[in-house]
Amino acid sequence: MISSETTPEAERSAGIVTRGLAAVIDLLVVLVIMSGLYGGLVLVRLVYSPSAFSLPSLNAVFSTVVTFIVAVGYLTACWTVSGSTAGAVAMGLRVVGRRSQRVGLPVGLLRAIGCVLFPIGLLWVVVDRRRRSLQDIVFRTHVVYSRPLAR
Amino acid sequence: MGNDVDLLKHPVVSAAVGTAAVAVGAAEAAYRAAEKLPVFGPFIRRGVAGLSERGDRWVTKSADQFKAQIAAVAVGLVDLVLDELDLNALVRERLDIDALAADLDIEAVINRVDLITLADRVIEGVDLPAIIRESTNSMTAEVMTDVRTQGERADDVLAGIVDRMLGRGRDTR
Repeated sequence: MISSETTPEAERSAGIVTRGLAAVIDLLVVLVIMSGLYGGLVLVRLVYSPSAFSLPSLNAVFSTVVTFIVAVGYLTACWTVSGSTAGAVAMGLRVVGRRSQRVGLPVGLLRAIGCVLFPIGLLWVVVDRRRRSLQDIVFRTHVVYSRPLAR
Repeated sequence: MGNDVDLLKHPVVSAAVGTAAVAVGAAEAAYRAAEKLPVFGPFIRRGVAGLSERGDRWVTKSADQFKAQIAAVAVGLVDLVLDELDLNALVRERLDIDALAADLDIEAVINRVDLITLADRVIEGVDLPAIIRESTNSMTAEVMTDVRTQGERADDVLAGIVDRMLGRGRDTR
């Protein structure tokens, strides 16, 4: 798996610890967004039918779909706009494309879907020599330490 | 001081004072005698009364003017003296400022100062929010840098362990 492509020393690929922590932070962010949405739904229902109000019990499929959409949207937006999600900013990481410093929208969207559907692919970072997750290998992206912030 | 005492006790001074006292006593006696004279007495009395009246008038009239003049002269004189003196050096030389300071009743001064108002003014002058913002910012930045550095180090340590377990060198990343 040794490739001729060289990553310059300034852009060292990030390992599993930082990327795992960043993923946990991102998961928390998605949960916060979801609880915000649920709170908004509750408030709207309270406004429109205050007399017959009860806490809405949501369909499991509906919740899953909404969570999926929120997570994919959040990851795609962050990666294509700045290359860093909230967790990545906290840990000083950045997702870069194969040649450019930014991930394009299609690649970002597909990578986000891949990460949400198959998060365990991140563990490949541990054994891969160039510290790539399965999604990185498929979409030819890298996660690097964003130097100016890291040190 | 010693000079003054000597001068006052000098026999010549004593003699002069004695002579003057005798002269004043004699003049007083002569005046009383003249007053009692049948013809001249009333004249003299009237004359003396007129004189003292004029004297009174003159004194009241010119007293203010006189005072002002004396004050002006005195002020000028004091100014001259002060100009000649280096007061700072004089105070430094003559005064034991440390002793003075030790005697100062600072408690009384503090009691007279409204400390709360003073503190309020001091706090107003200090831009506390900016200081807090700045220190919080730098603290946050420090913590973040620390977290990132530790994370990077942990990545490297883990990668090293995995590399050793898989029996491969660490030449490529």
